[in-house]
Formats: sequence, C-alpha cells, structure tokens
Amino acid sequence: MARKVILYLVLLVGIVVFTYPFFWMLMASLAPEKEIESLVLIPSQVSLNSYRQVVEKIPIFRAFCNSLLVSGAVTAGVLVFGSMVGYALSRLRFRGRNLIFYILLFTMTLPFQITLIPQYILMVKLGWVDTYLALIAPYMMNAFGIIMFRQFFLSIPQDLIDAARIDGCGDLQILFRILWPNSIPALVTVGIITFMNSWNEVLWPLIVIRVEKLMTMPQLIALFAVGGRAEAQLGVKLAAATMLALPIVLAYLFFQRYFIESMATSGLKE
Amino acid sequence: MARVELVDVTKVYDNKVTAVNTVNLVIEDREFVVLVGPSGCGKSTLLRMIAGLEEVTSGDIFIGGQRVNDVPPKDRDIAMVFQNYALYPHMTVFENMAFGLKIRKFPREEIRRRVLEAADILGLQELLDRKPRALSGGQRQRVAVGRAIVRKPKVFLFDEPLSNLDAKLRVQMRIEINRLHKRLQTTMIYVTHDQVEAMTMGDKIVVLRDGVVQQVDAPLNLYNNPANLFVAGFIGSPAMNFMAGIIQDNGGFVFQGKRFRFALPESLGDSLKPYVGRRVILGVRPEHVYDQQLAGRRPLTNAQEVQVDVIEPIGNEVFLYFGDGEKSYCMRMSPDKLYRPGEKLQIALDARKLFFFDPQTEQRIA
Ligand SMILES: Nc1ncnc2c1ncn2[C@@H]1O[C@H](COP(=O)(O)OP(=O)(O)OP(=O)(O)O)[C@@H](O)[C@H]1O
Ligand SMILES: [Mg+2]
Repeated sequence: MARKVILYLVLLVGIVVFTYPFFWMLMASLAPEKEIESLVLIPSQVSLNSYRQVVEKIPIFRAFCNSLLVSGAVTAGVLVFGSMVGYALSRLRFRGRNLIFYILLFTMTLPFQITLIPQYILMVKLGWVDTYLALIAPYMMNAFGIIMFRQFFLSIPQDLIDAARIDGCGDLQILFRILWPNSIPALVTVGIITFMNSWNEVLWPLIVIRVEKLMTMPQLIALFAVGGRAEAQLGVKLAAATMLALPIVLAYLFFQRYFIESMATSGLKE
Repeated sequence: MARVELVDVTKVYDNKVTAVNTVNLVIEDREFVVLVGPSGCGKSTLLRMIAGLEEVTSGDIFIGGQRVNDVPPKDRDIAMVFQNYALYPHMTVFENMAFGLKIRKFPREEIRRRVLEAADILGLQELLDRKPRALSGGQRQRVAVGRAIVRKPKVFLFDEPLSNLDAKLRVQMRIEINRLHKRLQTTMIYVTHDQVEAMTMGDKIVVLRDGVVQQVDAPLNLYNNPANLFVAGFIGSPAMNFMAGIIQDNGGFVFQGKRFRFALPESLGDSLKPYVGRRVILGVRPEHVYDQQLAGRRPLTNAQEVQVDVIEPIGNEVFLYFGDGEKSYCMRMSPDKLYRPGEKLQIALDARKLFFFDPQTEQRIA
C-alpha cells in the first residue's frame, strides 16, 4: 500500500515536470501580453489576441498545410520504402546482404552536419531548391526505419511467408498483404518517430526553402520569432509555438491508442 | 497427373551443411508417400525443395513430367501444410482459406463455393468467422489443411503437421488425413519423424538419414525386410534388439554373442558363409523373442537362460528386459504369464526372423 502511494507520488512528480512547461506555454499564449511576465499559470482572462496576431502576420495555415504535406509524404515514404528494404534485408537471400546492412548501420552514426553540404549541393544540381522535392525526397527513406522493419520482420515466422508464397504471393504482396497487417507496432512506431522528426525539422528547410509560401511551419515560426516580426511579444511567439506543437500532440494521442491496441493483440505466436 | 520425380537431388546450405545428398525418388500419381527419419536428417529440406521454397543445389525435380527446378512455388501447383500451421493471424478462417484463390483471381462465387465445400469436409462451418488465435490446435490444423485443399493442387506436401497436437488428436487427424487422401485421390508427400505415423499412413515410406535415402518400401516390407541396421532400428517400437557377436562354423552355423549362443538355421548358410569367424550384428525384434515354455510349435533356435531385469506391463502386452552384462534386450510377452524381476526363464528366438548386419557397412547380410 505504502509502496503504491510512493509510486504514484513519483509518477505525479514526473507528470508535473514533463507537462508544466507545455501547460505554461498554452496558458501564456492565451493570456493578455502583460500578464505573461509574471509567470502566473491561470490568466485573469482568456484572450485570443496572440493567436490573432500570428494568423494576421504570417501565412501560418499555408505553412501548416506545407508541413502536413511534407511530413506526410516523408512518413509514407519511410514506411513503404523502409519496409521494402527491411523485408529484403531480412527475408531475401542475396550476395552482400549483410554488407549492405552494416553500411546502413554505419550511416546512422554519421552526424547530420556531415552530409548537409553535399546534400545541399545535390539539391542545387537537381534544381530542386525552393521546391517540395527538396524537403521530401532526401528523407523518404532512412536507416532507422529500415533497421526497425528488418528487426521486426525477423521475428515473424518464416512459415508464414512460405505459406503466402505457396498461396501465390509475390514479394510485394507478401510485404503488404501479410507482413504489414502483422507489423502494426513497427509501422506505428516508425510512423510516429518519422513524422515527429520531419515535423520538427528546421535547419534543412531553412537551407533549401526561401520562398514564404513553401515554408514549413517550424521554419516559418522560427523565422517569425527570431526575425523580429513578432516584435518581441512573448505571447505571440508562444501562440505560434503552441500551434506548432498541437498537431503532433493530437497525432500522438490518436496513434497511442492504436499502439497499445496493436501491442496487446498482435499475438503472432500461438 | 502428378508424378513427382527426384533425380540426384542434392542440397548444400550456405554453411556447407549437406542436408540432402543425391536423392533419387519416384512418387507415383495419387500415392501417399511418407518421408521419415530422425531430426535433422533433411526431411523438411527435401520437402521444401519440392515446394520450391528452397533452391536445389544440384539434380532435378520433376512434377507431372515438367522440370520445376526454376519454377517458383506458386506455379508448381502444390499446397503445403506446415508444422505450426502458419495461418495468417489477421485473417478469419474463411479468409485464410480463400486467400490463395483470391491471389489467383478466382471469381468470388467460385471461391465461396470451394471454401464452403472444404469447411464441410473438415467440419469448420461454425468457425469461418473466427481468427486463428481463437481456435484450438486441432482446429487450426484443420484450417491449415482446408487452405491446402481449396486450391485443388496436384500435390499436397505436409511437414510434420501433427506434431503439435496431443496424442489422441494426433490419432484422429491421422485417420482424417488418410480419409482425405482416399477422397481427393491426389499425390501426397508427408514428412514425419514418428515411425508409427509413417507406418500407418504411407503407401510407401522413404527412410532418410543424414540426407541419404536408406530404403524406399511399403510399410510392412520395411518392417520385415529392413535394408540396413539403421532402418531396422528406426522402424518398429520398441526397437529391434541388436547383439554383437561372431559367426562360427561347427558343422552348423552358430552365433556367439557376449554371453548368448544361438545355433542358426541352415537356410542362412549361404549368406553367412563369408562371415565365418567375423564379427556381425544379430538383430531380432522383441516379438520374435519367446519364452520357450510358451512358444508353441514355432521353429525356434536353441534356448538360453536369462534373468529378468525389468518388466513394463502396458496392459495388452508386457515388455520384459534382460541383459548379457553389456546391453539390455527387450522381449514382448502376453500378460498372461507375469515374471518378476530377478526370475529366470529360457528364451529362444524365432529362427525365421533373424537379421544379420555387417558392423562396418551396416548393410544387411541376411
Ligand atoms: N536455412 C538453413 N541453413 C543452414 N542449414 C540448414 C538450414 N535449414 C536446415 N539446415 C540444416 O540442414 C539439416 C537438415 O535440416 P532439416 O530441417 O531438413 O531437417 P529435418 O529432417 O526436417 O529435421 P526436423 O525433424 O528436426 O524438422 C540440418 O542439419 C539443419 O541444421
Ligand atoms: Mg523439419
């Protein structure tokens, strides 16, 4: 009993530590500008003034759509191509399979900064600067997704794949009709992580996108917040940040349910 | 028509394991052939090569006259039932059975008709909407069989399909699969490590050991005329007794073991002649060792006195074990006469049922 109380206390402290900043941001964005400095949690009155200013000053909805498009396409790409490569690396037999896998592992250890310049030059040469392609194409596949899928597919019994093959499936049908429905935990995990990473990316868009109507939300908001157009109003910056974070939080809450559900029911082994 | 023919089929895995070694085998149309052998002898590998799931390292496989070495599994017109069923967990029983037909673009009505027909044969009508995880082992096994039969393939392949079932269900499914074979009149190739299953199900049994075919024969021929020491020991339960000894010629042939000495019938003379003075292995099944008092008028060898070590009363029969200071031997008795451990009795062997093997080549001599 006492142990349980202590456990709950610890959890409670954890919740406060993790959610307080977020909660404060939310509250501050709703507070009138002059109340923010005082760090009060509950504003005396709710004001949407900060939000109104954001919407008036920058094309935030357009940026939101851009972000959704970019992150959606990137996530779809990682799920489709990542699972294809993961399947090949785990279930097809060919020369050099392990070598490819180790090279992939190695690329994960390379910091982003190392590939940044070559990647930018590539975009320039391809003429993709200031297009969606520059935001999407380089990220449609990544080592993390491939490795996750490879590991997950290895845990699926070979007999299941053999049975599908005898039933007449080709490799793509095996992947999408047999493995995918039995890999929901892996799909959700890779999906969420990819989507969040893509959504939060600031540096790369700053490098390849200069026209405002193609900017993603974090890029636009970063430029807005540091670029002086927010006129040093904290509330406006916080409102923009809240708008940026909200879709991720919602998406996470939504997928969380699937995540737990799929973990509980995907009993592949008998 | 689906005659399956293997010519010099060899499989060497990447790790240099030779799992199947120059196998030559003909499986006639509509035949029920059982591949049997101890764990790791290459049964699954052989079956998977016939299915097309494993590449053939060398040799040729023919199904219905066509060389299929480079034909993918889906075009071989075979169906396979796996040891752990391999049902698709995300599909219902109906969908599991329909999947192969759906992929092959059969019309919906035809799919429905065939699945319902299979469900009827296998008693699955009530379960069509369930997912595999909501089925018992026996039911899953039935679905796996159903998935195979809806396709109406030329050849059925079974890889130890009953080994995850309990003993009673195993007997029941054994009978059902036999019945299915009669009904469908298709070639079936069945893998098992259980020699009882092999004996009761096969028209023809193929005994494998370390990737090499030891003998191909009808069940009773295998039992009565094993080609070598391995087959003799593998088929039959309890296993055949083996006794090492020397052949002597004292006017008549005599087998001299460590303690026992048996005079041999003249009929064995020709085959044993070259072995006079050499070591051989004598094999005799437990049911061909008799208590001299109860043997009736069978042609027996001379009697030897033995002391009972252990008895195992099974109910309808009793296994009695005795030793010669080196090995233990088993004899099967009727439960009418119960000996106790320590008691002595006179045993004699059925003179027509003696086997002799060369200890070097392990081949049968006589
Ligand atoms: N994919 C593989 N790679 C390497 N070696 C393998 C592979 N599959 C099987 N082997 C080896 O080949 C030999 C035969 O294996 P196989 O699975 O055919 O035996 P089995 O007779 O089916 O045995 P069991 O009764 O245990 O199923 C074994 O020595 C095994 O270790
Ligand atoms: Mg096997």
